[in-house]
Amino acid sequence: MSNETISVGPGRTTALLLVAPSLLMIGFLFLYPFAYSVLSAFVDNGTGDWHVANFIKAVDFYSNDILFTIIIVLLSTVLIGFFAIAIAGYLTLGENRFAVSLLRWLYRWPLFIPFIVSAQLMRTFLAKNGMMNNMLVGSGLMEPLSAVSFLDWRGIVITFVWKQTPFVTLLVAGAMASLDRTTIEAGRNLGASRLRVLIELVVPQVATTLMVGLILSYVVMLSVLSVPLMINAQSPTMLTVDMAWRINSYGDYGIANALGIMSYLFTGIVAWFYLRQSLKEKGAMK
Amino acid sequence: MLTNKRLVMALSTAALVVSAPASAQTVLNVASGGSQNMVEYITDYLGPMFEKQNPGVKVRVTGTGPGDAGSQKILEKLEAQSAAGKEVWDLDVVVAAQKKTGEMVEKGLLANYRSEISTGKLVTRDTAKTALGVNVDGYVMPMFHSQTAIAYNPDVVSDPPTSYDELRAWTEKHPKAFGYNGIKNGMSGLAFVVGWMYAYSGDAATIQNGPYDPAKKAGWSKPLADLKDFNKNISFTPGNAGTLDMLNRGEIVMGPVWVDMFYSWQADGRVSPNLKLKLLSPGMPGQPYYYGTPTKAENKELAKKFIELATSPKVQAEGIVNKFNWYPGIDANHVEAALDKAVWKKLFTDVTPADLAAKGKPFPIAPYFDDIKEGYEKQVSN
Repeated sequence: MSNETISVGPGRTTALLLVAPSLLMIGFLFLYPFAYSVLSAFVDNGTGDWHVANFIKAVDFYSNDILFTIIIVLLSTVLIGFFAIAIAGYLTLGENRFAVSLLRWLYRWPLFIPFIVSAQLMRTFLAKNGMMNNMLVGSGLMEPLSAVSFLDWRGIVITFVWKQTPFVTLLVAGAMASLDRTTIEAGRNLGASRLRVLIELVVPQVATTLMVGLILSYVVMLSVLSVPLMINAQSPTMLTVDMAWRINSYGDYGIANALGIMSYLFTGIVAWFYLRQSLKEKGAMK
Repeated sequence: MLTNKRLVMALSTAALVVSAPASAQTVLNVASGGSQNMVEYITDYLGPMFEKQNPGVKVRVTGTGPGDAGSQKILEKLEAQSAAGKEVWDLDVVVAAQKKTGEMVEKGLLANYRSEISTGKLVTRDTAKTALGVNVDGYVMPMFHSQTAIAYNPDVVSDPPTSYDELRAWTEKHPKAFGYNGIKNGMSGLAFVVGWMYAYSGDAATIQNGPYDPAKKAGWSKPLADLKDFNKNISFTPGNAGTLDMLNRGEIVMGPVWVDMFYSWQADGRVSPNLKLKLLSPGMPGQPYYYGTPTKAENKELAKKFIELATSPKVQAEGIVNKFNWYPGIDANHVEAALDKAVWKKLFTDVTPADLAAKGKPFPIAPYFDDIKEGYEKQVSN
């Protein structure tokens, strides 16, 4: 490479200076703590030797919780995808103007409610004698004796889906709105039902956006502490609760970090997809 | 006329304010390692009372925050002054939690004073002798005890279980009607599990007092397996507050709670007034906060006087029991006479002083405590 080709723009030093603040931030706020937690997971506190004892103990103690976490988050992600497509699809293809604007107005609300508030909401809503069951019993739809509490794994999934669906819907509905409507109209003209148009024409065209939204939701859900802590008191529970417990109760950062690294791995897998996707998109723009 | 009167009052108040430092020669420094309400207890209630009885004395209280962290700050301050070789330390009275008080005594930071004050002999509970395995006999006076107990709904449960054995039988007959919050969601659930281990591990005394033997936990597989079976017949609640919420909504009819929290919630109308308490035998744990005075406190005699007042039956009745719903630090029988009958009835009908003395247990010494928690995690919940 010769110097002439990069004569436009700031010089090398200026460029480095410009990048420095964000690099420093990533370094201090992400890379340094990350390296520190990796070390703490693999290095014995007393002797300073490398070991995997923390991971063995973590699996020994929390294998159920690890599985539980993966299942809950995957299930929630699938449900979020389903509801996001359904809502965004209706917003795009719906023909009842009133219903569309009502839905458009309503669906975003959970977006503005923090996780901890959602959890508290659900705690009173989903309890055995909570608001939901009281409403069902009051309206005669359910016998009081058959009321059950949803404050277990179902409560976590419901809260996650309720909270994250609007986020994905917002992205997906935006992508759907910017689609070339002629493809939709062509499908409708040829006699395809709205459902078929949605599944066969619209969703494939917004698949990338949908996936990005779902991946971001997946990562967020994996990191939430308040929801499992407040809703699901039983075991198994999610890894965030175990991490907080190891630190608060035993002052044991080693195993907490081992569990953290497992979470990194779970997000790492999907992050890889995300990065590949965004690289592809950027490549396409050229 | 009126304005004149006001002026005079304002002037005399100002004069008082100005002259106050001159007359209040002595400052009694109190450090409280508790939450805000424990600081207010001294600023609003105990401090003014003591100042009134001892003209020329000013009580100055500093709150260092709740939990072991707050008490740790007190420990560090005393330790620093001790290490610096100071002859006079600037704290006169300390209020601290169990574990750190034990450490302060071990490090020689606290004075042995209990035999020198008149209220010293009013103390009966074990926690005045040992703090989580450390011998603190003579060095501390308990400020209050908070205790865990089983709360139940007498409308549904007319004949509540009185022991862990009876509770097990009861839950088999009434599945899901008993609820507790596991061990990760608050201390009331953890206290229930500790009580279980006291009942079934076969050696509660060693767990409470030591000596520590790492091999002991290997013999706990039976009680832990039983607890796992027990857990099949119960409901899990989301936290200390969650247990009270579920009791109040009628989703469970029985569950372990902190007694002071239970009564405070009842006073606020947040749980039904007809719920009752029961202390299971052989016992459930609770914890005290301690009054201590540093070895080289500047005003040691005054500090002793302060603690004497704080642990007098009248103050224990009015302040600790009536105002804050805690159990008294001294033997409850000495408090009864000084207490309004209605308040006495409220706090001691369900759990009698004799119950408290016999079944109010300390938490385990630290290493056994960790072993119990890990044993539960490994063998009960995973």
